[in-house]
Amino acid sequence: MKRLNLTAAAAGTLALFGPALAVETPSAAAQPTDPLWMVGLKAFLVIFGLLTAFAYMTLIERRLLARIQIRQGPNRVGPGGLLQPLADAIKSVFKEDLIVSRADKVVFVLAPMISVTFAVMSFGLIPFGPKGAFFGYDPWVINLDVGILYIFAVSELAIYGIFLAGWASNSKYSLLGSLRSSASMISYELALGISLLAPVLLVGSLNLQDIVDWQHQNGWLVLYMLPAFAIFLLTSMAEAARTPFDLPEAEQELVGGYNTEYSSIKWALFQMAEYIHLITASALIPTLFLGGWRMPGFLEQLPLLGPLFALPYLWMFVKIAFFLFFFIWVRGTLFRLRYDQLMVFSWGRLFPLALAWFLLSAWVVALKLPVVWLGWLSLLSLVAFLLYAFQTARPKPVERSYP
Amino acid sequence: MSVGFWEMVVLFLLVLSGLAVVRLQNAVHAALALIANFLLVAGVYVALEARFVAMIQIIVYAGAIVVLFLFVIMLLSAANANVGLDLLPRLPWAAALGALGLAGVLVYGLIRYQPAANPPALGGGLPQALGPLLYDPEKWLFALLAVGFLLLVATVAAVVLVEPERILAATTHPAHPSQKEEKVEVGP
Repeated sequence: MKRLNLTAAAAGTLALFGPALAVETPSAAAQPTDPLWMVGLKAFLVIFGLLTAFAYMTLIERRLLARIQIRQGPNRVGPGGLLQPLADAIKSVFKEDLIVSRADKVVFVLAPMISVTFAVMSFGLIPFGPKGAFFGYDPWVINLDVGILYIFAVSELAIYGIFLAGWASNSKYSLLGSLRSSASMISYELALGISLLAPVLLVGSLNLQDIVDWQHQNGWLVLYMLPAFAIFLLTSMAEAARTPFDLPEAEQELVGGYNTEYSSIKWALFQMAEYIHLITASALIPTLFLGGWRMPGFLEQLPLLGPLFALPYLWMFVKIAFFLFFFIWVRGTLFRLRYDQLMVFSWGRLFPLALAWFLLSAWVVALKLPVVWLGWLSLLSLVAFLLYAFQTARPKPVERSYP
Repeated sequence: MSVGFWEMVVLFLLVLSGLAVVRLQNAVHAALALIANFLLVAGVYVALEARFVAMIQIIVYAGAIVVLFLFVIMLLSAANANVGLDLLPRLPWAAALGALGLAGVLVYGLIRYQPAANPPALGGGLPQALGPLLYDPEKWLFALLAVGFLLLVATVAAVVLVEPERILAATTHPAHPSQKEEKVEVGP
């Protein structure tokens, strides 16, 4: 890549860092990349796929929730309700598009766009197979050496959509919803970031491909990083504003939260952003902790089925589908937390836990102890958690005193 | 050194968004312009191949800090706050003096600047390259620790400022004078 000299002052800033150590770039970043038209095509495919997946996620979610709640769900439009998303799309496009008269019009229109734009921006980083698995091209859109930080930055910018929507609506409920949601999202973002520090420290790279390769050589990261995995799972659920944490649109308290004043396609765009966050999280969790696009190690050893299981894309889709199902399952099972409980859970539980686990794994890495230690520590934390849960979940016997 | 077309566009937008931050009447709009400004600065970092710093710029500044700004603006509903007087038009001489001084510093820097003989290879500004530099005891470690300590002090101070009564109640004897309720005498 060509080194660009922007201005003298900026170059002077660079020189301020002093003579740096010559460090070899990570392996994945140095490889040749696809031509630009191919990157554009893949970006288009990813966005197209995400939008289709969003449409059918709404159907799948409604059908699954209905099943959990022992009812039918939408099953009239098309066979098994398969055309329901299309009908919904037509309906929401042709509904009246209201803009509140006292709203800040520019920001009001801008907010759903910001939401969707930053939601679709991070999925392209996730690798779906080995190099050249996409008809001779790479099965990812871009391969950044600062991959995790990029995803983190984009997901943080996506908060602005919700935030500005609530303010621009010029309505109390919207403003309350957006203030609540941004406060909770920022709190959970903190625990999310710190829970990711430990695996990054262990692997020694921010690149998603490097993390997947490391897991291929050493085993899935969830085995070494169980607390980090648990915290990341919970916080990404909160980031997507799913049900135990869906404070932004607590219907009973806030009418509809930040999108109370939105209608028609703008409202649909917010829904779209939420589901795309969910899909991205479901792809990111397996990439970081469950071996990425590779199959479980023991299946490779099977004599006949081994090559069959090695199909590219297959495992990534299986893992994404599992986590999407998991999120819907959680939504059908759990209830919403109260606002103060939500904040205490983040600041009082998840954040110190993530910090403690990061310190522990930093010690293991710094002292160059064998990685297996982290596995044992994970097991220990699991046992401790189970003991704690058992202790608190059982109702305490009521002591009665008779006069 | 040469400045290409896209760099010129980015620098122009950078100045434009900076002006917007200062001149926009609505505080939320100004904060939005500030986000745009931070994103453009991140773009400048990427052009300089400092990708790690660019991402940190977005996460810390465009993400966390402006969110806090917006939070305060919205919580106090101060988007259209009337501050009474616009300081800028009343201080043309001071502004001109400041601009001249800044221009002087910049021109001096441009004249004195010489490209380094061995340009430092920062490896794309990745943490693998930046870490040893920052945490080298002979270079920046002390400054880094000092900054961290300062931030810790500031955090503790903020907590104390917000809740002095609870801190006092926790650290002092219950019979501390500040804990006594003052009796208000009513009437003659």
